[in-house]
Order: sequence, then C-alpha cells, then structure tokens
Amino acid sequence: MTKKTTLSDRLWYLFLAAALVLPFIPGGIGNSFHGHVLTMVLLYAAMAQAWNIISGYCGQTSFGHAVFFGIGAYGAAMAVVQFNTLPWYGAPVGAVVAAVTSVLISAPCFKLKGHYFAIATFAIVEIFSRLFMIWDWVGGAIGLDYPILDDGWRNFSWSSDKNGYYLGALALFTLIFGVVRWIESHRMGYYFRAVREGQETAESLGVHSTAVKLSAMALSAGLTALCGAFFAQYNYRVDPPMVMSLDISMKFLLITILGGLGTFWGPLLGAAVLIPLQEYTRAYLSHLGSGVDLIIFGIIIILTMIKQPMGIMGIIRGVTRRTSTVPAKEGDA
Amino acid sequence: MTLLEVRNLTKTFGALMANSEVSFDVERGSIVGLIGPNGAGKTTLFNCVAGLYKPTSGTVTLDGEDITGLPSWKIARLGVARTFQVVRPLKEMTVFENILVGAHMRHRETAKAAEIATRCMELCFLSSYRDHLSGGLTIGNKKRLEVARALATEPKLILLDEAVAGLTSTEVKEMVEVIRRMKDEGITVLMVEHIMEAIMPIADKLVVLNSGVKICEDAPRAVVQNPEVIRAYFGEKYSRRLRTEGKEDDHGCDA
Ligand SMILES: Nc1ncnc2c1ncn2[C@@H]1O[C@H](COP(=O)(O)OP(=O)(O)O)[C@@H](O)[C@H]1O
Ligand SMILES: [Mg+2]
Repeated sequence: MTKKTTLSDRLWYLFLAAALVLPFIPGGIGNSFHGHVLTMVLLYAAMAQAWNIISGYCGQTSFGHAVFFGIGAYGAAMAVVQFNTLPWYGAPVGAVVAAVTSVLISAPCFKLKGHYFAIATFAIVEIFSRLFMIWDWVGGAIGLDYPILDDGWRNFSWSSDKNGYYLGALALFTLIFGVVRWIESHRMGYYFRAVREGQETAESLGVHSTAVKLSAMALSAGLTALCGAFFAQYNYRVDPPMVMSLDISMKFLLITILGGLGTFWGPLLGAAVLIPLQEYTRAYLSHLGSGVDLIIFGIIIILTMIKQPMGIMGIIRGVTRRTSTVPAKEGDA
Repeated sequence: MTLLEVRNLTKTFGALMANSEVSFDVERGSIVGLIGPNGAGKTTLFNCVAGLYKPTSGTVTLDGEDITGLPSWKIARLGVARTFQVVRPLKEMTVFENILVGAHMRHRETAKAAEIATRCMELCFLSSYRDHLSGGLTIGNKKRLEVARALATEPKLILLDEAVAGLTSTEVKEMVEVIRRMKDEGITVLMVEHIMEAIMPIADKLVVLNSGVKICEDAPRAVVQNPEVIRAYFGEKYSRRLRTEGKEDDHGCDA
C-alpha cells in the first residue's frame, strides 16, 4: 500500500518488457516449437493465476475449473462456428456465462464445510462434460471444428506466423496477473486471505464471507473462461474431453501448487516448469501413450510437497531469508 | 444511556442450558465486567451477543436496535467488536495485515485503513512485530493482536473475552492501560476476566454468571462482598484478600 517500488514490482515490469520484445527478435517466436511452448507457458500461467484467486488467495479449493475453461472455449467456438461471427463477441459472453454458472454452482456448495466443497466441484466437471457430450447444438461428442479463416487479429487466428497468438497469450497473462496484483494490495485481497485463514474470525471483523467467496469465484471463473476462449482459437476446435475434463482441472491445481499456492509468482513459476515438460514429453515421448505428462506432473508434485509444501516460492523464500542480512525474523519475544 | 441491552437471553446446547434468562444493561461509555466460574456461560453469552450463535430465546438490543440473531458480520458493522478467548490469529498473515482486515471494515481505501491499523497496532504494543506472521507470535502477543484487530473496526462496544488471562504481570498492566484508553476514546467495554486485579480497578459494574444464571449485578466492591458470589466464585479466603487489597487501593487513589 506504500507507494514505493518493491523488488516484485521491478521483476514484474522487467518480465513484461522482456516478454513483449521477444516476438520482434528474429527467431523469437514465429512458427517455432519453442514459440509454441512459450505461448502455452503464458496461457497456463494465466489459467493457474485465475484459479489461484479462489483457491489460493481465498482458500476454496476448486476441482471444477475445467467447466469454466470449457464454457469460455465454447463461447468463442460457438461465435465462430455456429453464429459465423467474431470470437471477440463469444469470449466475453463465455466469461459472463462462466461467472454466472460459477456463482450458481458455488452458492449451495459454499455451505459445505472443509473438503466437501472441493469434492462437490469434482462432481460438477463430470456433469458438465456429459451434458456437453449429448448437447447437439454445441456439437455433442464431435465438438466444433473451425472453418478456414483469414489470419489476423480480427479473427484472432494465425496459421503460419504465430506471433499473434503469443502476443494474445501475453495480453491475457498481463490482464490476469495485473488483476491479481491489484487485488493483492487492496481491501478485496485482504478479505480473500482473511476468509481463507478463518471464516468466523473474518466475519467478526465485518467481512461478509459468503459474498467475498462468491466474488472471488465469479472473477476467477470469468478470467478462466477467457483463457478457454484463447485455447479454442489456438487449437481451431473444441470438444468436451479437450476442455472439460478432470485432466484440465488438475492442471490448474498442479501448476499453482508446484509454483506456490496463494502467491503472485507461483502460477508463473509452476507453468514455467511444468508446461515445457508437458510439451516436450508430448512431442518426444508420445509413443509411450497419452498421460505421460500427467505422470511426470504427479511425481514432481509429490516430490515438492515432501520437500517444500509452499512450492517453488517456498524454496525461493527459504533461500532469500537465509542469505538476507536483515536480522532473522523468527524468535519473537 | 444504555448501549447494550440483554433481555432474558437463553442459549441451550441440547439439554445443556449455557445461558438461562440472562438480563443486564451496559451503559454507554462504561466498563462492565462479566465474571463467573469456568463453564458459567460467559463465552456463550458473548457469542450470542456477537452473532456467532443464535440465541435460543431472548433479545439483544444495541443502541435501541434489535440485533438478536443477526449474522456476526452485520453485528460487527453495527459497532460490536469482539476478541476470542481461544485466540484466532489469521495465521498466514502478518500482524499488520491482521489488523488491516479489521480497519478495512469502515475504510475501503487501504491507505486510510493502514493509518487506523497503525494506530491500533501502536496502542496494543505490537509495532515491533508488524511484519511477523501472526501464527508464530507468543500467546501474549496473540492476545494483544485480538484486541488490536477488534479495535481497528472502530467499534461502539468491544467484547473482550479473557484478553488479560495468560499475560505476564507487566503485560497485564499494559492491557489494563489499553482498556483505560479505549474508555477515554469513548468505546464501551464488556469484558470477561478471571484476573480480579485487572478488572476491579477499572470496572464500573460487574455481572456475575453461575451455571448460566445471573446471580449478581452490582458495583465491583459490592460484588466481592456478596455472599452468593463468594460461595459460587471466589471462596472465602480470596474474597477477604480482595477486600483488604481494595482498601489499599483506595488509599493509593486518594494520595
Ligand atoms: N458450541 C457448544 N456446544 C456445546 N456445548 C457448549 C458449546 N459452547 C459452550 N458449551 C457449553 O456451555 C457451557 C458454558 O460454556 P462457556 O460459555 O464457554 O463458559 P465460560 O466462558 O463461562 O467458561 C459449558 O458447559 C460448555 O461446555
Ligand atoms: Mg470462556
């Protein structure tokens, strides 16, 4: 809240500047495989950060985010495929539908205490994915395939030079990380964390915890849907298993937990480790069958959890604390 | 003028009557002590007033407004702050952030809330722990944090549930000083306390609960001489000691 620039601020602007310059360097992004990987890192970091709002900062673990991601993906795809219009209309509609859906789902589920909320969200993914499987209007099990479109921002579609996708992902990343950065230093951020740390205590301080959780959920779901819209544009198609599966839900969770739950940098760090791993194993180990990436994800997560439950951010904090010259903070009288 | 009016308040847990037909008033600007043996129903009464529990029957009126059974966040916004006997720090947040949550209740702007929070932090002797995670504090500091956080909501009435118990004798003196300062700032105080040394010199009135029933309501001096209170709570010896200490206090004050 004090207006001095922190190390985190400096890193943030430095990172954005570097990421923005990259596509304009020859061989930076273009149509290269590492360009694709970097785009996915930004996208998954943004997704994980959106999930982090409700599950990290506000402490309500959601396994249901594939539903909101899927709604966003279908929003863009329906606009293009069924309505022959631009994804720019479909994406915000998807975001609003996802936010409203998330509130309708969560309102009864937030009454459940402790882990039951998480379990309830688990079931919801299955319900929605079945629903979309049999719903002909949205393409059923076959899904929606994009027609051939002109390259460019208007259609948000590029077939050869993928710089546009990279910049789109960077914009999404900046939006979502920017929102969280703002929240962190404002009342909403303090309320999110207060609800996580003790709902009854927060209420004794005038915090309407149900309203706080629902706003966190709506915001998280809406932003997640925008990521889904991007995903549909990027893949040129959408079907239920691709966007509305527990696999997808788990990725939100695993990336954030690996990086550091409830921290600003965690989602980026987690994505920077797991996504290259996912993309390169898919490219080079795909003959071992699908799901190899998830197996590797799982092993890494288990190892981190044993060593450092706060994830990569926990490791970094441990190191900076040990090397800092500031007198140790532990022993309080 | 009456700020808080408790009327025929009853709270049962199954067959257990934790509070039974309790009535009393808290005058605006006063310090009222709520005492009684363990299990008398003091914390339950606080929880009923603050909205954590819904009373089984009876009414709670604040400033003429019926607040019985309202959710606790609404009651907090109406001006009733409370501390928890079993401390509840927001563990993964720093001392300052804990207090800032309270201060945000009346101030959307974080800069303004930070100003209030800083004042409450200083008032409760917590400034040197500003950036410590509250989960790692000593019990004494956690108790002070409870008070600072509640104060940051700028309440009309503050409910202190054994805020002094468990502190060292120096800390007790500091906390008594804090409570005096609250009164000076116009905050009404209702406090549960076992440490009579802490409550006797500052309370304007004591309410005594025993097994959920109010057995006495009077000025502190009169309460410690009340035979029923002595039987239920102090025991003969303790009461005699209090009386003599009370006399010494008188001389101290006059001098
Ligand atoms: N949530 C609860 N459920 C069941 N019994 C309770 C609950 N809270 C308090 N009690 C019981 O009510 C009685 C009064 O407790 P309490 O109000 O904590 O007393 P005090 O604060 O005066 O020590 C005790 O017998 C206690 O066991
Ligand atoms: Mg008690």
